[in-house]
Amino acid sequence: MSDSAAHDNHVPSRLMRESLVDKDVIAGTESSVVRILPHINVIQIGGRIMDRGREALLPLLDEIVENQIHHTQLIAVGAGIRSRHILAVGLDLGLPTGVLATLSAKDAAQNAYMVSCLLARHGFVYLEAPFVVQLLPAMLAAARGAVFNGVPPYDLWEHPPQIGRIPPHRTDSGPYMLAEVFGARRMIFLKDVDGLHTSDPALNGGYAQLIPETSVSELRARKLATLPLDPVVLDLIQKAKLVKEIQIVNGLRPGNLSRALAGEKVGSVIRAG
Amino acid sequence: MRKLSTDSIPLPLAKQLLEGSLSDVSVMRATAAPADFPILPWANVVKIGGQSVIDRGRAAVYPLIDEVVTNLGRHKMIIGTGAGTRARHIYSLAIELGLPTGVLTVLGTAVAWQNAQMMHYLLARHGIPFIEPLDFSILPHYLAVSGAVVCQGMPPYKLWEENPNVGRIPPQRTDTGCFLIAEVFGARKMIYVKDEDGLYTADPKKDSKAELIPRISLAELLSLDLNDLIVERAVLDLMTNTQHVTEIQFVNGLKPGQLTAALEGEPVGTVIYREDEESIHE
Repeated sequence: MSDSAAHDNHVPSRLMRESLVDKDVIAGTESSVVRILPHINVIQIGGRIMDRGREALLPLLDEIVENQIHHTQLIAVGAGIRSRHILAVGLDLGLPTGVLATLSAKDAAQNAYMVSCLLARHGFVYLEAPFVVQLLPAMLAAARGAVFNGVPPYDLWEHPPQIGRIPPHRTDSGPYMLAEVFGARRMIFLKDVDGLHTSDPALNGGYAQLIPETSVSELRARKLATLPLDPVVLDLIQKAKLVKEIQIVNGLRPGNLSRALAGEKVGSVIRAG
Repeated sequence: MRKLSTDSIPLPLAKQLLEGSLSDVSVMRATAAPADFPILPWANVVKIGGQSVIDRGRAAVYPLIDEVVTNLGRHKMIIGTGAGTRARHIYSLAIELGLPTGVLTVLGTAVAWQNAQMMHYLLARHGIPFIEPLDFSILPHYLAVSGAVVCQGMPPYKLWEENPNVGRIPPQRTDTGCFLIAEVFGARKMIYVKDEDGLYTADPKKDSKAELIPRISLAELLSLDLNDLIVERAVLDLMTNTQHVTEIQFVNGLKPGQLTAALEGEPVGTVIYREDEESIHE
């Protein structure tokens, strides 16, 4: 034993003196998790819907307001095309992934702020990450809704990805992680496509077929060239304790959000497994 | 649809990024091409362990603080802190209360913050500030003027921490947070100051036959599949993908001179390195 072995300045606890890296200690922390906000629905508005402007966004916001009576909606907004542009400039300048994440989070913040302005008369506010941590229940109780930034607050601490340098945690991971930590009722992604397809509908048009329901492992086995959401979301679903299902619907089609909120199998559902 | 014109952006990547899908592997590969610009290549990230060093109080902390001060003129340091025994207490309490991993991260961050505050007050007379994650844009100024800063080691993930594969303890804690600081700034060194001479074949606190491993490749370490490790597993996973930090060092903060030796580039303690880089250098 080294002289460094032990000291007695411990607060008594089950994990006292233990290594939190030890596999047995980690396995001992498996137990059931409470749903902190089981009634909330986390809804992501894709950046590509935002970029379409008034024509696409306003009907969608009307639908959110219609659902405010029955459903609590926590709205995340994607970053869209401006984020692609700053990624391109930042990459060209040689800036690392963590810096790119910090920059691109501002694009999603701008979009979320615009959405919150348009929903303000109905009581929705825009919450930055620290306020999501502290104020969310009060805001949801007051208005049954709030808006937040889809990019998770990883900033400079964003992971270097396996391939290339684009931040892997983008505006789909952020809302999914919040849905999971709060034990949300639903996680709905509103995109400009009908859902998951057998190939990219932007490239293959009529040949692409909708996949109404799939497990993560079935989806991975398809080895699709592109996905309508951040691939890291699939890893996260596999580790979920509470939210083991997400739904992707076309936000450009009126009624889809309401149907998804009502529990109908519209669009595509991806399940853990 | 409002589009940004690609004509106005004479960048080789812009067209692909504006028109392609970010989940497309060929788009991802294209973004690997421009080399990363190291932002602070002379900075050293030093992580001071919570349970291993700070919880021991004066006997362990004062000599280490003296050693940091001695190195101030010579090495620029970003000093991150671990959480330690109070984090273990609040993690077990919160787990029993059924709270999820993201909430545990919020709680654990506060413990690392407390430790960072204490280190900061002990270093304050040397002009060394404490900085929050949001203050990192002022970091270069502080390093230029004071030679060091203190920050809490947890990454600022808050409720957005991912679940671990097993159990509920946040997988990305203060080892990971400090590692990612080193990586994003392209730092010169990532040094972990703990209460052991380095990595052992087993936990030396529990197994007297445990042997010190002075230098080991990441691949070799992962293949050993040890039940316990000196560092969070997330650090090893991330290290397979880093652009800058391909070597991390572990020293014993209870032995005077080890931190200094590591800052001077000496092979003290244990070094974990990524093999591909090794072969390039040889």
